[in-house]
Amino acid sequence: MSSHDDSTQLRWLGILSVLEATTLVLLVAVAVPLKHIAGWTIAVHVMGPVHGLAFLAYCWAAIQSIAEGGWSRLEAARLLATAFIPFAGFANVRLIARKSAALRTGVVQ
Amino acid sequence: MSLATLYPWLKALHVVSAFLFVAGILTTSMVLAAERANPGSAAPVAGLLAKSERWLTTPAMLLVWAFGLTLAVTAGWFSSTWLQVKLAFVVLLSAVHGLQSGQLRRLVRKKALKPLPTLPLILVSLLAVVVLAVVKL
Ligand code: HEM
Repeated sequence: MSSHDDSTQLRWLGILSVLEATTLVLLVAVAVPLKHIAGWTIAVHVMGPVHGLAFLAYCWAAIQSIAEGGWSRLEAARLLATAFIPFAGFANVRLIARKSAALRTGVVQ
Repeated sequence: MSLATLYPWLKALHVVSAFLFVAGILTTSMVLAAERANPGSAAPVAGLLAKSERWLTTPAMLLVWAFGLTLAVTAGWFSSTWLQVKLAFVVLLSAVHGLQSGQLRRLVRKKALKPLPTLPLILVSLLAVVVLAVVKL
């Protein structure tokens, strides 16, 4: 497959990573306080499942990317660990951008 | 029309998507096994398989999840043991799909495959999922 395909793949991983982290921020920083302060439960009922799905989608994309190879052991561990560490998804953006740049210039593999 | 009256239709679409999804992961599992046993042998079908992975198997997986979750929410199945256990196997099947999908991308780019026998895992999970969904143990 072309490097164009690879960077599309990485772009998806980055988008899902940010989405996973963002939906968690919305859940714990907006929806949960709304529930406890204003007694407004609908936000949790919506954001809970949305975050759950974003989490699963990110996990799937990470497994696929790692199975394809091109990541060091440490990078692979980091991609998986970020799914479980709150807000770490934002930190993935730089790692993925670096991979993308390396692919474009043909440094990787 | 409410979701409850659509329930049998949603279930039918759920099962159709499940068929397509399982067909896709089984095919990929076997083609990857053939390539590992005899490197180069899968080259002629690699492109077609990658295309069907993208346009059939992956959308089918997303639809299985979408219809399945809708069914479970509509009928309130989430508290049932059969669904909770089934979900564990469904997550496993989805993960196997992700692993194979990554290997398939290696195949297309003519890179060596990793030893990753997925067939037994798929068969056991399929057995568990269908028995749990139908018999509701
Ligand atoms: C997120 C994933 C899934 C969820 C939440 C889910 C949930 C459900 C629910 C609620 C039903 C309806 C049960 C009933 O009304 O009797 C059902 C039926 C069924 N599911 Fe799933 N499912 C999922 C994935 C899968 C997968 C991956 C397969 C196959 C590999 C599968 C195979 C079936 C079959 C064969 C039935 C029909 C059972 C019957 O008609 O008695 N499901 N599922």
